[in-house]
Amino acid sequence: MKGMSVLLLLISVLFWGFAAEGKLTRPANGLKLIFKPVFRGGSLCLHTQAYIDFHGDTLYVDALRFYISSIMLKSKDGGNYKKIPGYHLIDAEDSTTESIRITGVDEGTYTAIRFQIGVDSLTNVSGALDGDLDPAKGMYWAWNTGYIHAKLEGHAKVCPTLHQEFEFHIGGYLPPYQTIRSVELDLGTLKIRANGESVLTLHCDVSKWLAETDLAKTNSVLIPGRQAMKLADNYKEMFSVCTIY
Amino acid sequence: MNKNRTTCLVLTLLTLVTLVAAVSGPGKEIRFAVPQSWPKPKYDFKNNRLSLEGFELGRALFYDPLLSSDSSISCASCHLSFTAFTHADHKLSHGIEGLRGTRNSPVLINLAWNTSFMWDGGVNNLEVQAINPLTSPVEMNSKLPELIAKLSRSVKYRKLFFKAFGDSLITTQKLLKSLAQFTGNLVSCNSKYDSVMRREPGVRFSDRELEGYKIFKSNCETCHKEPLFTNFAFENIGLAGDSILKDTGRMKITNNPEDSLKFKVPTLRNIEYSAPYFHDGRVNKLKEVIDHYTSGIVQSPTLAKQLERKIILSGEQKKDLVAFLKTLTDKSFLYNMQFRQAISF
Ligand code: HEC
Ligand code: HEC
Repeated sequence: MKGMSVLLLLISVLFWGFAAEGKLTRPANGLKLIFKPVFRGGSLCLHTQAYIDFHGDTLYVDALRFYISSIMLKSKDGGNYKKIPGYHLIDAEDSTTESIRITGVDEGTYTAIRFQIGVDSLTNVSGALDGDLDPAKGMYWAWNTGYIHAKLEGHAKVCPTLHQEFEFHIGGYLPPYQTIRSVELDLGTLKIRANGESVLTLHCDVSKWLAETDLAKTNSVLIPGRQAMKLADNYKEMFSVCTIY
Repeated sequence: MNKNRTTCLVLTLLTLVTLVAAVSGPGKEIRFAVPQSWPKPKYDFKNNRLSLEGFELGRALFYDPLLSSDSSISCASCHLSFTAFTHADHKLSHGIEGLRGTRNSPVLINLAWNTSFMWDGGVNNLEVQAINPLTSPVEMNSKLPELIAKLSRSVKYRKLFFKAFGDSLITTQKLLKSLAQFTGNLVSCNSKYDSVMRREPGVRFSDRELEGYKIFKSNCETCHKEPLFTNFAFENIGLAGDSILKDTGRMKITNNPEDSLKFKVPTLRNIEYSAPYFHDGRVNKLKEVIDHYTSGIVQSPTLAKQLERKIILSGEQKKDLVAFLKTLTDKSFLYNMQFRQAISF
């Protein structure tokens, strides 16, 4: 009996899914925000693709993960930002994490987007959290509690480490080493329609994160501090608008 | 029976009431009782709805070696109820395969009032503290996703999580919150000292204890502040540095040289039963602790101001002080059956 109803439910969900597909309905007042990891414009391929940084060193990227929060849109007339709650963990290993679907945005024209990279201080002291903030996601330090706002790992011949690897785990919510960073990007015009979903694609260029880093010298930053502050200033520059439609 | 003592036993009573009710689904909410004239707890159960079912789940988890990678170590392996939840007889706690940690396991008492956790204060919230022992390679050595999968395979735990949260889906968050419902309720507020302070009829300090209390007030109280017997600050009390562990304490967290060799001021409640003492368990007797304060202090740039002036105590005065410290023993805490491993039928 129970199995039967589960089956029925499954079937109806499937049908509903197909029906929605068929009509090509898009969520109303929607915005799909895509964070596309790239390296100097070319899409980012983990593990296998060699890249050359500003220093001229060859490197491979093995992991790129960061939190996006406090997304806000600046509207053309009001100048007001609409704050969209929630934390999103973007993981270059899993392309399904790269898009964030937002619904219920007021219809209108927006000229800028603002968001934070990382997890705010209050959330950092709020105990055990769920979803993208689940400490099991590996973006959490337990011994010196706090979220890792952003992670970049890879390997490069110039790194004098055991497996030539570099690791940047950037976090810290306490002054003077707060590494949460705010990004604001000009959009020109982004229209949110009552009957559809607009798509905004942003590039996250890993080469910019490494722009001021000499991997031969700096290859492991795993605690909050001065070095983490500098790297956070660098990755703040990763983001740019790619397409809007 | 005294009124305040009653508040302290509220949990026990509610337990019975709820046991009789024995409903399924998230149980009846229990109010966390704050002993009279105590400060407001730092941990807020508002964000972790306290229920008997949640407490019982936390308790079951606390005593279950399933939580370690090879199912050999439970939280209770290092935190024993009858020694105020410290690791008796062990200077440095050891975990799976006998691997040794670098610190002495602290007592688990009145944790809801703690402003930070661990000897260096590196942990900011009771709920997330448990991630440390659960995942530390020298303690329980589990990986969180695997641990959640392991618990999810257990019919027993799916039932217990359902009872506590109304949902049998096991998550890290629920695991940590239920552990905090147990550890956050390890309240000790029924020592002789408490009875004297509450002016319970027929309870008085002996002359020796009273002398000890005075000595305590003038030499120890600034850091071991009543009624919790800690001010939660970090201080260097001039313990001789050790060349092996080279534990710099608070500085490990802040990277600030001014914090070198500072450790969190521990509570002194139930101190009679929580030997060995200090962050590395270097001494075994209360008298040795006091000898440290009178004649063992090593000067260093970060030494606590209060200890720059030499503390001079006669042999008798030391005995008085020890007698007072023993009035902080709370038998109703140490022998509380609700804090022991549940007997399963
Ligand atoms: C291998 C021994 C060991 C195991 C197992 C263990 N602990 Fe601990 N516990 C310690 C040690 C050692 C510390 C102090 C660590 C430090 O200061 O760095 C500690 C600290 C704590 C604290 C902080 C107390 C305070 O006042 O700061 C809490 C709470 C705690 N443990 C709870 C638990 C729970 C819950 C579990 C099971 C999930 C557990 N412990 C398992 C050894 C252990
Ligand atoms: C400057 C603050 C300060 C003062 C004053 C002070 N203590 Fe402490 N006490 C501490 C700190 C910090 C620790 C932990 C030190 C460590 O383990 O590194 C501690 C540890 C202890 C311990 C061991 C607790 C345990 O669980 O291991 C006892 C017992 C103790 N103190 C008793 C006293 C007595 C008695 C006095 C007065 C003679 C006193 N303290 C004065 C800060 C202080």
